[in-house]
Amino acid sequence: MVIEFVLNGEKIKTDVNPEKRLLHFLREDMGLKGTKEGCGEGECGACSVLLNGKLVHSCLVPLIMVDGRDVLTIEGFRKTERFRVLKEAFSEEGAVQCGFCTPGMLLAAEALLRENPEPDEEDIKEAISGNLCRCTGYLSVVRAIKRASIKGKGLW
Amino acid sequence: MDISKPVERVDLLEKCQGNALFVDDLEIPGLLHAVTLRSRIPRGRIKRIEVPEIPERYWIVDYRDVPGKNSVKMLSEDMPFFAEDKVNYIGEPILLVVGEDKEKAKRILKDIQVEYEEIEPVFTIEDALNGNAPPIYSDNNRFVEYEFSRGDVDDAFRKAYKIVEGEYRTGLQEHIYLEPQGMIGVYSEGKVTVIGSMQCPYYVKNALVHGLGWPEDRIQVVQATTGGGFGGKEDFPSLIAGHVAFASIKTGRPVKLILERNEDILSTTKRHPSIVRHRTALDRDGNILGMDVEIILDAGAYITLSPVVLQRAIFAGTGVYKTPNLRVKGIAVATNHVPSGAFRGFGSPQAFFGVELHGTNLSEEMGISPLEYKKRVSVRRGDLTPTSGRFRSDVKIDEIMSRLDKLSGFTEKYQKYRDEKWKGIGVSLFFHGCGFTGDGEVRLDSRVKLAKRKDGKVEILVSTVEMGQGAQTALKKIVSHALNIPIEQVIYRNPDTDRVPDSGPTVASRTVMIVGGLLQRACEKLKDHMGEMEYVVEERFRMPEYVRWDQEKLHGDSYPEYSWGGVVVEVEVDPVTFEVKTSGMWGVYDVGIPIDERIIRGQLEGGMVQALGWAYLEKMDLKNGFLIPGTITDYTIPTAKDVPEIVVELVRTPYEYGPFGAKCAGELPFVGVAPAFASAVQQATGIRIDKIPITPEYLLEKMNGD
Amino acid sequence: MVKPDTLQEALGMRSGKVPLAGGTDLMVREVNKEFLYIGHLPELKGIRALEGKIIIGSATTLDEIVCSKIVPEVLKQGVKVMASPGIRNMATIGGNICNSSPAGDTLPPLYILDASLLLVSLNEVRTVSVMDFIKGPGKNILREDELLKEIIIPDMDFTYAGYRKIGTRNALALSKASIAYGYKIEMDRLVDIRIALGAVAPTPVRSKSIEEFLIETYPWENGEMDRALVMYDKLINPITDQRSTAEYRRWVSLNLIKDFLMEVSSGED
Repeated sequence: MVIEFVLNGEKIKTDVNPEKRLLHFLREDMGLKGTKEGCGEGECGACSVLLNGKLVHSCLVPLIMVDGRDVLTIEGFRKTERFRVLKEAFSEEGAVQCGFCTPGMLLAAEALLRENPEPDEEDIKEAISGNLCRCTGYLSVVRAIKRASIKGKGLW
Repeated sequence: MDISKPVERVDLLEKCQGNALFVDDLEIPGLLHAVTLRSRIPRGRIKRIEVPEIPERYWIVDYRDVPGKNSVKMLSEDMPFFAEDKVNYIGEPILLVVGEDKEKAKRILKDIQVEYEEIEPVFTIEDALNGNAPPIYSDNNRFVEYEFSRGDVDDAFRKAYKIVEGEYRTGLQEHIYLEPQGMIGVYSEGKVTVIGSMQCPYYVKNALVHGLGWPEDRIQVVQATTGGGFGGKEDFPSLIAGHVAFASIKTGRPVKLILERNEDILSTTKRHPSIVRHRTALDRDGNILGMDVEIILDAGAYITLSPVVLQRAIFAGTGVYKTPNLRVKGIAVATNHVPSGAFRGFGSPQAFFGVELHGTNLSEEMGISPLEYKKRVSVRRGDLTPTSGRFRSDVKIDEIMSRLDKLSGFTEKYQKYRDEKWKGIGVSLFFHGCGFTGDGEVRLDSRVKLAKRKDGKVEILVSTVEMGQGAQTALKKIVSHALNIPIEQVIYRNPDTDRVPDSGPTVASRTVMIVGGLLQRACEKLKDHMGEMEYVVEERFRMPEYVRWDQEKLHGDSYPEYSWGGVVVEVEVDPVTFEVKTSGMWGVYDVGIPIDERIIRGQLEGGMVQALGWAYLEKMDLKNGFLIPGTITDYTIPTAKDVPEIVVELVRTPYEYGPFGAKCAGELPFVGVAPAFASAVQQATGIRIDKIPITPEYLLEKMNGD
Repeated sequence: MVKPDTLQEALGMRSGKVPLAGGTDLMVREVNKEFLYIGHLPELKGIRALEGKIIIGSATTLDEIVCSKIVPEVLKQGVKVMASPGIRNMATIGGNICNSSPAGDTLPPLYILDASLLLVSLNEVRTVSVMDFIKGPGKNILREDELLKEIIIPDMDFTYAGYRKIGTRNALALSKASIAYGYKIEMDRLVDIRIALGAVAPTPVRSKSIEEFLIETYPWENGEMDRALVMYDKLINPITDQRSTAEYRRWVSLNLIKDFLMEVSSGED
């Protein structure tokens, strides 16, 4: 089955098995390693990407569901000003430790701020509730996203 | 300049951008994939393995493909790389299927039939000790036993005004590092290189030397960016490294083995479950006359690190309490589940859960607020440690407790909640011994190298691993400050055993204090040679002169220094559901001078949340040999919505032998949370808490049962 | 995997295949049949009000339900506590219903809303009550040639309705026990009360006869509340599994009912 979609701003056309997971397609077929496999069953969020602007667990998304849609991974997001602001905020608040959950967290932050540019702490916790982190204890990530929303006022 | 002032983490950019290379991200031409056949029974003999016809370019790798010794060398050699004739836990590796397509290899795996002859298994500490089933180890299932004492504890009990007893239990805990374990083995031109997720490159190398029987220069171990460890990647990476090494040699191609998440949960090490028993003699004023402590650890199927875990546990047996008489006994028993291994705290959290919950109970017996009581009967500078060494540095318990009280409002709330049901507040006081336990640092004999290069940069050559805790940033800061050069001039790459000396494993909260301390001294030597084109300095570990330790008698200074902490936890219990909500958590810690305040804060918050999970959310039991729950869906670690407000603060007691005055910090924040949480729930519910995790189901059971 | 362009086409290919919409349940299972992808079909999307009813397309995602202005609050509450944002962006209400897990969080709200399901095949269209649809864990009356097209919710006017989930943690959690409840008081008279329980029996549990009893005997001044609890106790049949124990599930469900009934009888919201 031919699947066509936009990946990080570029049109992609592929004839892989439509059941193949977006996560594996990204990592194996496209060589994009920034999206991580932490569990393979949608329970950790390390594989998070944006699909038509919405946060999804790419390990659960077969390519057939990507047809005609728009995918943003960390490799696409990192070129933006919003990423820069978030990265600065993550740095200032110590929100990065081992780094495995980080791309997913950043995309979860982006998904939140697109819909809610002035989130409160509860909103942020809800937005990252599907992204597990074992290193930070989450508070620094929450502080970082809050900080980014303030420092990057107007970007979202 | 103040070294504590935060700098941007040196690995921040690559981790945010998603181009930090973890082992599964590495592309190597000709790579094969390995999948593991594991025991389905908890204990028995392998009678027969029936392997279907294997297609071309697929291989079976088993114990017969181990060139050297089929044992994963750790402290002992009892654990095989591949089971030969016996299996001792569900999940134990038996063989690999290796080939180009991972899904196809998995299908081949499914068709392999193993016939077992089951042997009566041992599942609990009680089972292990009552001798009903044939012993797994020796003739009594006791991997190791230790005892030390001082004074005459039995006399203390005779003279006691009051005797208080308690038994406390803790359960299995799984690390759930976000990056599952994995290794790549590459055999080329007579040399094997293993790259992977690990904490201890030289542990892996030594295990490979033993398993291959090859000289050291034919074995290379390289750490890939590692997504969390917490102790879970201290020993089992050696097992997986062996697997890929043997597979690569047999197939002649590079082999990758990455555990799937639920496979990782099933088959890698867990925190030791424990039973901690206390018997304490008090005088009329509540002073402690004697403490009799027994700690039993459930070590799982093989010895691995249990002797040291047990030692660290018993060396914390009497906690912060001042007592002239004591006896501490420890036993690590063998059971038929995956070996218990290292996990942040390494026996200390179990010991402190027991002693600090017991301390709360002592305070209740005396009718004194636990904050007051624990402050009153705890050690200060100059007092004896549990092993009768000395606390030589300032023990800032008064300051810690005073700050905690101010921050949390403990005293007021404790009084208020005595009359208010369903709300409670608890406090704990604890320490963590810095560096490897006992004579460990001496035996490790760590070395570091510092190389000034032609381009003016200085390279740190150590075997310490960055796994999220900030080691690369912290050690670079130490060198940068010691040499007075910008941090950008300092190089520190992921360790490669071909290039770095053995500075010991990344464990025991030793990285900054021990390895950083060595680097600081190396800098002192290098300073005078910065003008030269190239210069290399090596520094070797020396235990400070004042440390007196007898490993035979377990007597004296079991650690060169201690970090301290106090934690308050406030809870509210829902009477309709018995769900416990943590309303607040406060921690005041003394880790000496923080090398980076922001990194320290990350360790403190992260450790406290992980410990909160252990205290009430993370439940794992052994049911007929199966770990239940055994999936990431149902083994519930805290999410962002499960985290309370946490306030942390530091007090500072600089340590003369630590770099810039630093002590140890990584494990300390894990140690005190569970007993403070349990104490709070005890006050809130009126239920006598005796184990963790404190689930609503447990509270209902206690409510109905008592 | 096949991808039809219309519902008609899908129904033509339906037999022998497994319908796939959001995939959040099916993608973690081993499925030995071919998938029939229907998540994109326009006939299965959309939320609209029609003649006093709310009609929800079966391929409506959980996130779309939360964002809707017309979906009843109690259903939104159930959806809000499901899984995680990433799952809710893909998972569909139809998937949760057809998965038919006794712990499915859309189900107790749909039970008390008296929701019905429009099942279509090439030759037939039938409407069944959601309570008749679910038969057991993972079991329902959807035929091999049928697809769930719509969920129909009659207009409901509660004084208060809500959903409470007892999960293994506060997010990414499956229900250990749950309750959907609603009541209507008109001039000090209880005119309607509904209770549905999740995760404590092979299917969600709702008893119209107990509800009638409660309406008749309000304000429960002669021990009727306790009698109702005894009746619920007999209806539920919780199990012990990796998430919780039968004892706890039983105790907490009855407590949740009692808590709700006390709220109703005290006249508070």
